[in-house]
Amino acid sequence: MDILIGILEQGLIYSIMALGIYITYKVLNFPDLTVDGSFPLGAAITASLMTNTDSALISSITLGHNPYIICIYALISGGIAGLITGIIHVKFKVRDLISGIITMTGLYSINLRIAGSANVPIFNMDTIFSNNFVYNLFPKALLKYNVLIIGFAITFGIKLILDIYLRTKSGYLLRAVGTNSVLVTTLAKDSGNVKILGIVIANSLVALGGSIMMQQQGFFEITMGTGAMVLGLASVIIGTNLFKKINFVKATTAVIFGSMIYKASMSVAMDISFTKASDMRLVTSILFLIILIAGQVKNKKVKIFVRVKEYLQDI
Amino acid sequence: MVLWIVVGGAIDRNKREEIKMKKIFGLILLLAVGLFTGCTKDTEAAKGLAEKKQYTIGITQFGEHASLDNCREGLIGGLEEEGFVEGENLTIIYENAQFDTGTSNQIAQNFVSKKVDMIAAIATPVAQSAFNAAKDTDIPVIFTAITDPRAAMLTEGNVTGTSDKLPVEAQLKLIRAMLPKAKKIGILYTTSEVNSLSTLEEYKSLAEHYNFEIIDMGISAAADIPLAMDRILPQVDAMTNLIDNTVVGSLPVVVSKANEKNIPVFGSEIEQVKLNCVASEGIEYVELGKQTGRMAAQILRGEKTADEIPYEVVEGSSLYINSNVMDNLGLSLPLEYMDRAIDVVEN
Amino acid sequence: MLELKNIYKTFNEGTVNESKLFSDFNLKVEKNDFVSIVGNNGSGKTSLINIICGSLDIDKGQIIVKGEDITKKKDFLRYQNIGRVYQDPSMGTCTEMTVLENMALADNKGKSYNLGRGTRKNRISYYKESLSKLNLGLENKLNIKVGELSGGQRQGMALLMATMTPIEFLILDEHTAALDPKTADIVMELTCKVVREKNITTIMVTHNIKYALEYGNRIIMLNQGRIALDRTNEEKEDLTVDKVFSIY
Repeated sequence: MDILIGILEQGLIYSIMALGIYITYKVLNFPDLTVDGSFPLGAAITASLMTNTDSALISSITLGHNPYIICIYALISGGIAGLITGIIHVKFKVRDLISGIITMTGLYSINLRIAGSANVPIFNMDTIFSNNFVYNLFPKALLKYNVLIIGFAITFGIKLILDIYLRTKSGYLLRAVGTNSVLVTTLAKDSGNVKILGIVIANSLVALGGSIMMQQQGFFEITMGTGAMVLGLASVIIGTNLFKKINFVKATTAVIFGSMIYKASMSVAMDISFTKASDMRLVTSILFLIILIAGQVKNKKVKIFVRVKEYLQDI
Repeated sequence: MVLWIVVGGAIDRNKREEIKMKKIFGLILLLAVGLFTGCTKDTEAAKGLAEKKQYTIGITQFGEHASLDNCREGLIGGLEEEGFVEGENLTIIYENAQFDTGTSNQIAQNFVSKKVDMIAAIATPVAQSAFNAAKDTDIPVIFTAITDPRAAMLTEGNVTGTSDKLPVEAQLKLIRAMLPKAKKIGILYTTSEVNSLSTLEEYKSLAEHYNFEIIDMGISAAADIPLAMDRILPQVDAMTNLIDNTVVGSLPVVVSKANEKNIPVFGSEIEQVKLNCVASEGIEYVELGKQTGRMAAQILRGEKTADEIPYEVVEGSSLYINSNVMDNLGLSLPLEYMDRAIDVVEN
Repeated sequence: MLELKNIYKTFNEGTVNESKLFSDFNLKVEKNDFVSIVGNNGSGKTSLINIICGSLDIDKGQIIVKGEDITKKKDFLRYQNIGRVYQDPSMGTCTEMTVLENMALADNKGKSYNLGRGTRKNRISYYKESLSKLNLGLENKLNIKVGELSGGQRQGMALLMATMTPIEFLILDEHTAALDPKTADIVMELTCKVVREKNITTIMVTHNIKYALEYGNRIIMLNQGRIALDRTNEEKEDLTVDKVFSIY
């Protein structure tokens, strides 16, 4: 049971990042590699704001190293990263993938500077999961589920906000620019600015995900962003493929599911006893393939099922 | 998650989608079953370690790397010497994080949920993940191959281990002894490896005692190494290695470029000397692993708990030389070192 | 209403591929005109439209709409007063969104796209009514994704969306060219209906001489960037398809 809880925790936290990638990849149709840099950026900002206990300035702007306030700064930092990529892409007319790569590459050095070191532990510090407020709020029995409960609340909250946003006028415009940017122009709106807004929102979420992940794992590692795009993409694609026929609003839920399935697959891959530890990635990729194929076969099976039923009814 | 499935199932009235929902539920169930088969490796809750006859240790290693592999080999060997033999009274679950922090976290949580008797972590990130995952449990964490456990915040709590702090001073002495006229030593390191950063600082602070100046160059990936070597070689008289995973992983490139310019490369460990570094006052990772194994045994036997044992550093260093490379470069080993030196070529 | 003054446009100036398209080109479109622009490929029909809409820059000249010189205005700003239907039915709509959402999207043109509700509940009956006037059955498909509609239905929607909010003039960019003859006829009828009801000045670029003669009050033929033919009202009614072809 503990394994399931661990998977849920990891899946929920990573799904915050996956939701950000969902915005750029699925809604905007913009493959955004910035995330490999903005995910650790959120974590780096968090590490820096938490560990710099000597600075009076930092104490004041974080209201005494309040982890929730620090999360907001992480969110903003992601937005700035997204803004840079957006400007490079729209104003300087650089291709989507390359714009993301430029920002991501620059962020590696910036993240190192912000965090101060390639590895910054925060084991004894207040995080959004463990602080006085949480200890007072939760009854003793629930305390060991603090990560799960808080993670669930945050992820679900973000999902709800995102769902609501995508149904506002601004959200409609965002959805339109990804499918048909010409329409946005015809509606007398600057499609470039709409795109930039989307990239900003997406990377804000990714950085927030990085901050929360770092608070859960207890340390910042400069390499924690490597492969973030891959992980997020896999979650988005697995999730949306499996839940294809269901209407739009649920896409965000599908992404969260996708993230959990990803983490579950890795856990299963770890436990398969006849493979070596080094085979884990191979097993994980085979599992993904099986899941994706199962998602397609389902449709065929349903058709066959329906046809067989009709045939039997005719007899 | 179950709640969402139920809610999702209720909302979708279309029969097709109902079937789809059931299939998805089935798939998730299948995955869950897969997880439970893993659960069968569960051991009983650790009542008192000293009373148990069967032990399970989860070994988590940061990545595929010769030095880290040596640590693991030594660890298992050390445990064996102390009476904990794999297959007899010891089960080892070994997982590798493939240099990925996310995987590192999952492995740690996996071990904790299996209620292993101890987690052995090889390298900083996996040790931190393990410590974090185990902190509300009784499971002790023992680490190795962490250069600065204090900076990693792994000195307090149910955790201990060994540090692979390099014998920097001994290495500087060796280089000075073999190259009396050398002035500048070049060091290549990876900016993302925290172990490298702390060792580099130590080199810089000790170098002037031996009349050396350190020229350092940071890289971020293996692909940067050829260019970095081209730039650093003209500036230095010799090079020395840290235990930087990336640089050591590309050691053949480093050594061949340096040898072209007749610049000797001093290694930090026996494997590197085998790969044509000229010499090394280094640590022996297998030994380090064994030392860790002995500490682990103490804890398993219940003699001490992890928070009672302070982390240990390897005392002294081992001198390895590569006589072929020395001949090619026209270098020789001073007399006072001859007794201790182990020539990798004779093996 | 719309005036193009002394327009000069050369493509690839200074290179081997240099081609002068417009040289001192002038055109006036009066309010409530329904102009059809015909001409063979390369005559400049599409370039003319793009120049008016702002997606193509000119070398010299002025574009004046209702007295205001918009030559320097950015393309998306010009669209505040212009509606456009494209040849590709997917370009005038958002195929990933539902019919209702597309209506709401177009309804908000000219206003702020802020955090207000995307589809206002009190406008839904208006949308339904507008859609039913198209006679394409769309009023019963409010929650269907536009991408699942037929080309004719999509083009009908695009027409509606382009004219939903007040505009100075409507540009139809070969908007029936990608449809089959029957659907094209239906869409043309719709176009005429909408234009007449809302009294919109219209510029229609088309290959279909029949439509050009049947609909609208003015026909212009372009040939290599020059106006080869410009007939209005009674003069236009004298024209037949053969006569037009002979000038081609």
